[in-house]
Amino acid sequence: MTAAPQTTPRTVIETRGLTKRFQGLVSVNNVSFQIAEGETLGVIGPNGAGKTTLVNMISGTLTPSEGQVVFEGQVINDVPAFRRAHLGIARTFQVMKPFHGMTVLENVAVGALFGRGAERSMAAAKEKAREWLEFTGLGRRIDANAEALGGPDRKRLEFAKALSMQPRLLLLDEVMAGLNPVEVDEVVDLIKKIRSQGMALLVIEHVVKAIRSLSDRVMVLHHGEKIADGDPTRVLEDPRVIEAYLGKRRT
Amino acid sequence: MKRLILPLAVLVALALAFLPMVGSDTMVQFGINALLLATLAQSWNILGGFGGYVSFGNSVFYGLGTYGTAIAMTNYNLPFGVGLVIGVILAMIGAALVGLPILRLRGPYFAIATLGLNGAMMAIFSNLPIAGSNIGLVLPLARNDAMFYELALGLLVVCTLTVLWISRSRYGMGLIAIREDEDAAGVMGVNATLWKVSALVLASIFTAVAGGIHAYWSTFVDPASAFDSTLNVRMVIMCVFGGPGTVFGPVIGSFVLSAVYEVLAAQISTAAALLFGFVIVLAVVFMPRGLADVVKGGRAISWRYFIRNIRENRL
Amino acid sequence: MVLAQILLNGILLGGLYGLMALGMALVWGVLNIVNLSHGALIMLGGYTVYYLFTLAGIDPFVALPIAMVVMFAAGFALQWGLLNLVVRSKMLNTLLITFGLDVVLTFAAQLVFTADFRTINPSYAGANFPVLGLTVPVVRLAAFCVAVALAAGVWFLLNRMPLGRAIRATAQNLTAARLYGVNPRKLYAITFGIGAALAGAAGGLYGMISNLTPYMGASLTAKSFVIAIIGGLANPFNVILGGIFVGIAESLTALYIGPTYTDVISFGLLVVVLVVRPKRAVRAA
Repeated sequence: MTAAPQTTPRTVIETRGLTKRFQGLVSVNNVSFQIAEGETLGVIGPNGAGKTTLVNMISGTLTPSEGQVVFEGQVINDVPAFRRAHLGIARTFQVMKPFHGMTVLENVAVGALFGRGAERSMAAAKEKAREWLEFTGLGRRIDANAEALGGPDRKRLEFAKALSMQPRLLLLDEVMAGLNPVEVDEVVDLIKKIRSQGMALLVIEHVVKAIRSLSDRVMVLHHGEKIADGDPTRVLEDPRVIEAYLGKRRT
Repeated sequence: MKRLILPLAVLVALALAFLPMVGSDTMVQFGINALLLATLAQSWNILGGFGGYVSFGNSVFYGLGTYGTAIAMTNYNLPFGVGLVIGVILAMIGAALVGLPILRLRGPYFAIATLGLNGAMMAIFSNLPIAGSNIGLVLPLARNDAMFYELALGLLVVCTLTVLWISRSRYGMGLIAIREDEDAAGVMGVNATLWKVSALVLASIFTAVAGGIHAYWSTFVDPASAFDSTLNVRMVIMCVFGGPGTVFGPVIGSFVLSAVYEVLAAQISTAAALLFGFVIVLAVVFMPRGLADVVKGGRAISWRYFIRNIRENRL
Repeated sequence: MVLAQILLNGILLGGLYGLMALGMALVWGVLNIVNLSHGALIMLGGYTVYYLFTLAGIDPFVALPIAMVVMFAAGFALQWGLLNLVVRSKMLNTLLITFGLDVVLTFAAQLVFTADFRTINPSYAGANFPVLGLTVPVVRLAAFCVAVALAAGVWFLLNRMPLGRAIRATAQNLTAARLYGVNPRKLYAITFGIGAALAGAAGGLYGMISNLTPYMGASLTAKSFVIAIIGGLANPFNVILGGIFVGIAESLTALYIGPTYTDVISFGLLVVVLVVRPKRAVRAA
């Protein structure tokens, strides 16, 4: 490890000059940021700005071309995805991926069985899973087949799966896409509830209103580069951000 | 229905245990074959049904079990039990060595990689003097069909209990998660490599014991019978027909198909193999989740079930 | 000199291997079906040419296009009537159904054709001519040329004809293809038919060089698969090159290590190729 600038002990995740190229195409370019314990970072940017690629590099689905991912002071570039889960990194997928052929309860139990501080016994894991399903408001669908869930419930399931891993860092990738305003408000409330648990949160979102009310800080990506990072209100009113992001937003 | 299955299975197993006392010799011999085949299908179920990795090479472990037992008993005059252990150890080593590189492959890549396994092993054993090269080995004679029958039954019971445990354990949840979405499973903390390789090793244990029992029973081993590639076909089909990823599906599937096969093979053997091909084709079209899913919950079987399956998957 | 001759044999045989893999690569790339009965289709093509030659007295190279038409019809019917029913199912299921098909075709062939070895043996089968001190077998050279010509035909079809454009559009995106007014069911059947026709041609040529048996399919399926991976699914000429690579590797193995170990070597090669396979061979999911 290079003589990196000393980080405060409270920093949960930090990236240093993170870059990802796909056959010459730069998807994420030299992005550095950090998130502290209990802090929520909102990430916005137009489609193709590299937001999901960023999440993939942190969760271990993709290896960075350059730069470092540092989790709780430890460089984890070479740590496989499953071990990152053990360390305490959890994520949701933009395209929801429940395990078919399992009930809702079992889906969440997988997180409790294999995440941080993994439970060894099925009974204990299911008990924990039940708690998280209550927490996310899915308690009534415990025995349903995962594939039978509709849109908003699928998101709740995705939350419960990630939370049952007891993460220190939670990456939420466009969890509000496709929801109506009432459902968006429900999910915002849920995320606020999650925030009170004290973990670091990275929220990728298109819904600006939601980002504004949730985030402690907002980072804007454009063509893979970070063009702003700071106080939500200030960032969202920055003319460059408005031009890059809001100007090109799909109507 | 669901609560009845377990006691029912225990009753069936007990009843089967008494067969050698009442049944004819032919029945007992048929029983040994059927029980061994059911064990193969059930052990294939561990990685294939729960983990979702289709292997066309598990017969290799059967061959290793066969040869391990045969070599120990003929070349070193060791007792049958020791031979079995040697066969199992050989198969486990084989499974780990083969599994580590090829289980990195996914879907069709894995399936095709296993296709060549059987031929490669057969070539190696045909050139091994200790294994009798391509002539084979003759084991000491043990005329005790009842013993072989009970051994085969015991093996199937232990194998099925193992699968029952898998279906209710953390280990099994990991396998199912891998089957449904390996990337998502990894992000949730499942060490996919360890889980897959250990599933193959676990499967190799039961497969090898079945091979060892069959070797001692038939008293003769050669490369063609030990590494019989049609065995792969049968275990995959029996498991898929019965219900991959279920506890009793593979056993039921094997019994049903063994009986059908026995009846047909008495007529013409090629027709029996042909029928097997048709069964797998029709099973994939009409009941892609196996016999177990058709009768699940004791619901009435109707045309709608089959039509819905086709609707889901057709273009 | 021996080495040069071995290399020449490997290249000529490899061209034919490439043709075998071409049909599989096409079906895989467009339909996303790894057709485990591909080798059985090659076998059927071989027998078709064999019977056209022995029963009707048609020269094998004339019988080749007839066999291709027959196999096209068979492939079209198979996809239309059966495989279209399961094509959206999990890959496990399409693998299994084509595996079942392979079993059906193999044992049906055993019933109809018996298990005896057959060779397509025209009067010029043993003919050869010398070039630079090397012996060039006429039939193998012809087979190589047919393989390259058919690869060129497939390339032309995919890149220069409206049907080919429709096929490529379907491979990219089924929904988009529908918007073009393409009937995907028919297109899938046509594509599978073309794959079967290519397999048929390969089988006819293979029967002139080697033996036909009902069981020859399995190893040819595995071989085609490896070549399809090496060559990629996009360009027919690369598939032929992949075939040549495998042909050379096989000939060298037989020369230096011994023919009994070709199975071990080809399994090893298969695993090595699969594990270090080039990324471009992977179809975008």
